[in-house]
Amino acid sequence: MIRLIGAELLKIRSTRMWLGMLALSLGFSLMSVAVYIAFAGMEVNGEQGIGPVTDPDTVRALYASSSAGVLFMMILGIMGITGEYRHQTITGTFLLTPRRGRLLVAKLISYFLFGAAFGLATVLVTAVVAVIALAIRGGSTNPLDHDVPLILGGAVLAMALYSLVGLGLGALIRNQIAAIIVAVGWVQLVEGIITVALPEVGQWLPAGAVRAVTLTSSAFGGSGTLDTLPAWGGALLLLAYGLAFAAIAMVTTVRRDIT
Amino acid sequence: MISIEGLAKHFGPVRAVDGLSFTARPGMVTGFLGPNGAGKTTTLRMLLGLVKPTAGRALINGRPYAMLERPAVEVGAALEATGFHPGRSARDHLRISCAASGIPESRVPEVLELTGLTGDADRRVAGYSLGMRQRLSLANAVLGEPKVLILDEPANGLDPAGVHWLRSLLRGLAEAGCTILVSSHVLPEVEQTADHVVIVARGRLVRDAPLAELIGTGGELRVRTRRAAELAVALENAGGQVRREDDRLLVTGLEPEEVGKAALHVEAVLTELVQERSGLEKIFLELTMAELSAHAGAPGAPGVPDGTPRPDETDRPEEAAAVPGQEDRT
Repeated sequence: MIRLIGAELLKIRSTRMWLGMLALSLGFSLMSVAVYIAFAGMEVNGEQGIGPVTDPDTVRALYASSSAGVLFMMILGIMGITGEYRHQTITGTFLLTPRRGRLLVAKLISYFLFGAAFGLATVLVTAVVAVIALAIRGGSTNPLDHDVPLILGGAVLAMALYSLVGLGLGALIRNQIAAIIVAVGWVQLVEGIITVALPEVGQWLPAGAVRAVTLTSSAFGGSGTLDTLPAWGGALLLLAYGLAFAAIAMVTTVRRDIT
Repeated sequence: MISIEGLAKHFGPVRAVDGLSFTARPGMVTGFLGPNGAGKTTTLRMLLGLVKPTAGRALINGRPYAMLERPAVEVGAALEATGFHPGRSARDHLRISCAASGIPESRVPEVLELTGLTGDADRRVAGYSLGMRQRLSLANAVLGEPKVLILDEPANGLDPAGVHWLRSLLRGLAEAGCTILVSSHVLPEVEQTADHVVIVARGRLVRDAPLAELIGTGGELRVRTRRAAELAVALENAGGQVRREDDRLLVTGLEPEEVGKAALHVEAVLTELVQERSGLEKIFLELTMAELSAHAGAPGAPGVPDGTPRPDETDRPEEAAAVPGQEDRT
């Protein structure tokens, strides 16, 4: 199993796809930080949108920005399996590892590890930028305040688990383009609508789980009125999504003939 | 040792492989021959655990492929349509195979050297020609120094020098005691490499015999001489069947030596004595023609003259006429 994980990690590292996903994930997080910093404390039509930088909620939201690019971790996971079908490397992969269940487990572990490493990188960069931004705007710069360590840890976990979800989804759908369209449509559209319209359902969706692990209970970051699971519940929920997709894929698509 | 036992695969109503049995033994190259769509690729894919058989089983050293603990060190396979990630280098592809199978990475430069890819090893595969991809497939197959090799159309895309290299590589491995199963629809390739030939058509076994036996029977000799009429009579008297076209005779049922003796007897000066078609070629052509007419719905399908079409010429219309899904060549 360790051999297989080594091979999978080498597969990810030997093409440049991961660089793109890392860049996108970082870009999204930093963009989100920029938005919070720019609009913090600003009044729109006499109402305050985002609290001032001295507000703990704003600080939390700022750090939770590091999970803004989870979608790209999902895409990383999707490409990890659908790319094998697309480039027909799946034939060689199954020749090396004819027991397909083992391969899927190795992939799940590898992508969890890779997602965690990406999460760590994104969180570190985002946190550094956030601290600097807060210092400039006169907010709290102590990264140990306001549950920040918990939020950052949650963001790393969310990234790792999202790549797992993507892998499971990709194994199920197999077609790369279709899987990515489903993922983007789901994350950008369906989840957003359900989260706002039916928050009691929304908390059970992957996006709700990310809110839970990053201690966010508003659609715009910070604490709000949305129903949200406890952090550990969110982590378990994401893990369950990843494993459930992978399990369904294992008994359906992964078993199929490779022709 | 490879044993195929009553193997069958049905895709809906299409019987791609239909109760096939044969063995490939160590120390020899077994040619797996058949027109396109005969079920060769499907058979190999079942042998390698990629496709689940409808019935029967395929064993390597007595076990199904999926039961092998480290398949890459027992069986080397190069399948058609095995992909490489375009963004990954040849060296990285091989390193991944090493990592997954516990093969030391020191094998990577060795197989790159063996397949002549050393100079291009660090380039991305996207820029590779078909021949280079084929070499990479072969490099990957021999990475774990397996004693069983399964190659699907390995000469496709290789230049003549590459084909020659491949032939001597396979011969050398067979002499070292390896079991080698090579599929092909190109006849000369098999005639020059194989010791034993298994011919399939429409998923069924047609012939399973040593190459020498197939070549020896039913071949045709082309003889050219000014004294064609006299020689024709002499050859017929010697027990041959002769067709005459001006100064050219097409002879079946006689060995070259017997033709020479007859020529000496009637004092005919031979300007040409050629083994026109081997028995293997004859069987194969009959098969492809039968397939052609079966698919096209008419005997002697367009583009194929009735005379002596070369097998590589018959390939094209055959491909076009192949039933979709009967064999996967994508």
